[in-house]
Amino acid sequence: MNIIALAVVFFIMLFLKSSSLAPFSNPNFSPSISLGFILIFAFLIGKEINRFKLPQITGFILAGIFCGPYILKFLSIGDVENLQLLDGLALSLIALTAGGEMRIAQLRKNMKAIFSILIFQTVIIIAGFVIFGLFARSFFPFFSEKTLAQGFALSILLGTLATATSPSTTIAVITETNAKGKYTDLILSTSVIKDFFVIAIFALSLSLSKFLAVTGKAFEADVMTMVLREVGGSVLLGILVGLGIVLYLKFINRETAVFILGVAFFTYQISQSFGFHPLMICLVAGFLVENFSSRGDSLIQAIEKSSVPIFVVFFAISGASLNLEALRRSWVLALIFVVWRGVLKFLGTYVGAKIAKEDPGVQKRSWAGFISQAGVALGMAVIVERAFPEWGGEFKALVLAVIAINQIIGPVLLQRLLFKVDEAGKK
Amino acid sequence: MKAIFAFGLLVLIAFLGSQFLFKRKKLFLPLSYFFLSGLIYIFLGLSLGKNGLNVLSPAVLEGLNPLISLGLGWVGFIFGFQLEYRYLRRFPQKYVELSLLQSLFVICFVVAAFGWLLRLLFPSEPSSLLYGMAVVLGLLLSLNSPSLLNFASSEIPQKGNYFHLARFLVSVSGFWGIGGLALVASFWHFPFIESSIFIKGLVLLLCSTIFPIFIAYVFHFLTIKKTSEHDLLVYLLGLVFFASGTAAYFNLPSLYVCMVLGITFSNLTRIQEKLYPLILSTEKPFYIIFLILIGALWEFNLDYKIALLVVILLILRVVGYSFPLRPLGKILRFSFPLPALFGLCFLSSGGIAVAFIVSLKLIYPFPLIDVFVSVALMAVVVSELLSPWALKNSILKLDTEK
Repeated sequence: MNIIALAVVFFIMLFLKSSSLAPFSNPNFSPSISLGFILIFAFLIGKEINRFKLPQITGFILAGIFCGPYILKFLSIGDVENLQLLDGLALSLIALTAGGEMRIAQLRKNMKAIFSILIFQTVIIIAGFVIFGLFARSFFPFFSEKTLAQGFALSILLGTLATATSPSTTIAVITETNAKGKYTDLILSTSVIKDFFVIAIFALSLSLSKFLAVTGKAFEADVMTMVLREVGGSVLLGILVGLGIVLYLKFINRETAVFILGVAFFTYQISQSFGFHPLMICLVAGFLVENFSSRGDSLIQAIEKSSVPIFVVFFAISGASLNLEALRRSWVLALIFVVWRGVLKFLGTYVGAKIAKEDPGVQKRSWAGFISQAGVALGMAVIVERAFPEWGGEFKALVLAVIAINQIIGPVLLQRLLFKVDEAGKK
Repeated sequence: MKAIFAFGLLVLIAFLGSQFLFKRKKLFLPLSYFFLSGLIYIFLGLSLGKNGLNVLSPAVLEGLNPLISLGLGWVGFIFGFQLEYRYLRRFPQKYVELSLLQSLFVICFVVAAFGWLLRLLFPSEPSSLLYGMAVVLGLLLSLNSPSLLNFASSEIPQKGNYFHLARFLVSVSGFWGIGGLALVASFWHFPFIESSIFIKGLVLLLCSTIFPIFIAYVFHFLTIKKTSEHDLLVYLLGLVFFASGTAAYFNLPSLYVCMVLGITFSNLTRIQEKLYPLILSTEKPFYIIFLILIGALWEFNLDYKIALLVVILLILRVVGYSFPLRPLGKILRFSFPLPALFGLCFLSSGGIAVAFIVSLKLIYPFPLIDVFVSVALMAVVVSELLSPWALKNSILKLDTEK
């Protein structure tokens, strides 16, 4: 029945978007029809994909790619840009849930493993990409056309971006599979904390790269100040927002759905004005609400209840935003990067987990939970593009291609892992 | 900084709302229905919009366009979903006939009065536009809201014939108004207002009726098998969203398209019991967000022309609903008299009228529309303020006297 509905909805959309109906249409409402279509279409695709034991969000992403500006063009680049606000709202809600999934007791229990994995992943991946960069100079014009210092800077930045994972994808797969257990906690907590860590490391890498490739001067204090302001401001605002939600739940506790949407909206607006990270703000706020309010649990559960439409919208739009043109141009190098990143992720996780004395299963398997990549890596690629105009564009295109592949295979690997370690369906 | 201030404002209004809003007590106190009905959120939206803090700036509102069309579709779907034949056939046919004739009278009465008045007040505007607006205002006045009677239900000790008839009429009158809007939007389709498009209009009307029926069948087939609550929510949101987005994309009223979707689906499906809690749990948040967005869209201005039109619109509403009741009661052979006083309980038009006004603004984006939106919104706000008093002096008295 789903297949028939899928076909019917698809052909209706094909007809509605046909050029013969264009004179009657109002382009201002193109995002409305596109979003309505993508919501039902992506969900049905997700359900079909699920039959092949793949996560629904892979289906949402694939539906977004399929309907996006590079294939069927049901969503134009303008539509995708116009939907950024709704995308931001969805991201804030997902981050609130992700923050709410982290409990202090669990964090304490896993603290050693989290930081060990985090540190070793970062060190090994950055070192691995520097080695790769030096080795690849003989084979790829992307590296050989640059000076040694530039190539070194490029490798450091690539390595830093490669460490990033996507907490939103992680939470989506965990929610979809109803997973609970040691692996789930470890992967989610590490992904979330890593987000903060990666942004700080990125600032350092950016300063170092500028020093090597452009200025030749010592570290630029302004970059560090900017990053400190971004991370510190986001954490501080997250604390304020979290406290606000706690107080609201305690003293008012009515129309919470509207209030939470308002929080998501204003968080997004404020973060846009001050250059903070909405993801970080909501992660911190969700964490506070879950751990410092007696009603936090029910609030997070309420958001989770309506999580499916939020995930569909968010991942379908992110699928539509994936730059297939960039992937087409540099797919060979991107594929090599993805494989190399996977190898380094395995090594980093293995060494980190072994030093933290985690059991052999965690050492060997948990790397699969850190493959997906999305918003943070994308944001960093944009900053690199601006910081290094001579090769930043090329760099961004490569990173976009890598993200596109990782975002498709990442959720599948995580879902397989959760089933394999028997944590799916345990919530 | 403005965003932070706006956030504080939202919390304050939410706090006030938590104290007053939707609490079923003291309905007949002055101003209380203003809070009860949630209309205060329009003013919150107004203060956040272009004329206020500009947090919901035109650019942001453009980004939220899909939410606005979804809101309209949602209102239309919920309204249509309640029009289930199984339920409606319990009422005598003359109730339906009275509803139709009453709406027709109100529409014709307003069109006649406003057709003349608007030409007097806006002589430089094309008369086709002014007549179009007169029709639309007539349709607006034919809408009623069942919320007030639902709220009042607990405060009316004796529920007699008048209460039940009024409840029926206010529950179904939207069908005629929204149907009329679809007619207007099809045959007076923007941007082809000036050209004659009879055939095109017919095609548009047919499309805006057949398309949602088709979508309702898709919805029905998707939910024939046992469906989880999560899946049901996405199907519901997705299909309402798709239908309302399609309507908005072709400058047709999302309200109508989704009303037809709601009617068709409610008469096809057997999962009403499962769907109602889902709709009820999402209805209020949707409604509040919708009101805030409408307030933000409102290009508020108040000059003598607008004030005059608001007053006249209110007078026409009272006269239009009261005057024909007695003769209509006799023509349709009602077993109890329908005095003019009974017409006072049709003053409230609530959320459906607000949705109608927004539909209008989205379908007809010409400059003069903002004047009509102001007139219509102010008339709705004032009539909501007066409606509890009017209800108290009509149904309460009539059912007690009886």
